[in-house]
Amino acid sequence: MRNTKALSGAAQDAYFRRVLKAQATLSEEAREQVVRSLKRDIAQLRLRREPLPDGAIPNPPVAETRLAAAVAPSAQPDAPPAGTNFDPFSPNIVVLLRTAGRAAVLAALAAIDSQEQLRLLAREQRLSVAPNLTSLDELRGAILSAAERRIANRMAAAS
Amino acid sequence: MTRFLALSNRKGGVGKSTVSVMLAHAAAAWARQRVLLMDLDTQCNASLMLLGGEGWEKASRAGHTIADYFYDRFDKVAGDESTYIVNNVGDVAHPRTARGRVSLLPGSQRLEDIQGELYLKQSKKDLHADAVSLLVRGRMKRLMRHFGMDYDLVILDCPPGLSFAAHAALDMADHIVVPFRPDFVSQFALDRVALLIERVENAEQLASIAFPDRRYACLPNCLTGAGHERLLIDQIALDHPLLTTRLPVLESIARAFDWDESKKTMEQKYTEALPHLRKLHTEVFSGGQMRAQSA
Repeated sequence: MRNTKALSGAAQDAYFRRVLKAQATLSEEAREQVVRSLKRDIAQLRLRREPLPDGAIPNPPVAETRLAAAVAPSAQPDAPPAGTNFDPFSPNIVVLLRTAGRAAVLAALAAIDSQEQLRLLAREQRLSVAPNLTSLDELRGAILSAAERRIANRMAAAS
Repeated sequence: MTRFLALSNRKGGVGKSTVSVMLAHAAAAWARQRVLLMDLDTQCNASLMLLGGEGWEKASRAGHTIADYFYDRFDKVAGDESTYIVNNVGDVAHPRTARGRVSLLPGSQRLEDIQGELYLKQSKKDLHADAVSLLVRGRMKRLMRHFGMDYDLVILDCPPGLSFAAHAALDMADHIVVPFRPDFVSQFALDRVALLIERVENAEQLASIAFPDRRYACLPNCLTGAGHERLLIDQIALDHPLLTTRLPVLESIARAFDWDESKKTMEQKYTEALPHLRKLHTEVFSGGQMRAQSA
């Protein structure tokens, strides 16, 4: 028996909705927006029949894997703040936006359900967000916009 | 066959001269190559590292600098260019053979003035400004190529600005290493120098050139281990080929270039920076990064 099964069309949409529904902090509107983006970009996905156990998922994105191996021992990245597992440098929002698109960024940010952590991520990744934003969705949107501005800035300068 | 390697970045203070000298030492000491370092930067840092202040001043007074070479030989068909070279420079002990030594065409603070003078001289020939620029660049390129016969490797330590000499060096180099510090402004500097190296006009055109076909590779330098460096390096890796070598901020690298006349081994000179230099040397010269000089 094959270890994976293919999903497309309505079954795929239902899968996206089911996964996103688990993100309690994501509003219905944001959820639908992500689903629309995913539908646009993904024609078919393959689902494992037996989900991998926790910790077995290969974590870093490709670019990070390639680079991490080469970082000198004396130049290891900052450790996350003490007392928490949250790493404000991961995911790299600009890289994720450029490689996987807006939906992927929103999905990644949806997994962060603390305003403090979102603000920390924005600050450490130099993504400017207004201090008066209070809702998590607004913060996520502002982070995404800031990343888009960063990319646009760079493209404009390289001409 | 001589290979021409340029170290370039339009941003200053990224380690072009330091890495130029390190690679010159490594190629001479480990690959037993005849190495010439051409100091095109008017700050003359590579010259000061290899000759010391007094040695550089002596060369400068004697007219043995790149500015003198360009000026004296600009209109001449041929000549003995070796008179401008200072041989066996630096404080790494070399063997008593022609191979495995570093020679230097010293830099000059007058290089920018000389380029201006050469431009004005040529512009009297009733040519369009662009044609004059091309003429000056082309002649400088040919003058630099003259050294091809006498050395296995010519390292061109480029200035941060875009002088005629810098353009000529980027035009003629077989391969270019672009050191950078991973900070916000560096991204822009890398994008711009890449456009220049690949002779394209914008990011879209650059993106159409596959990484293996590009003449340059970027070298992250002066890393402190801060998280934002990792972010920027990952972002830069989307658009530019990166060497896997990473040079951290090391006291031993800074110390290695305190002028000291006593000769020493590579191990004594570079101490804990040595493994990084070995990796860089292997990657730049043995990893297919350096392409043979095109005809």
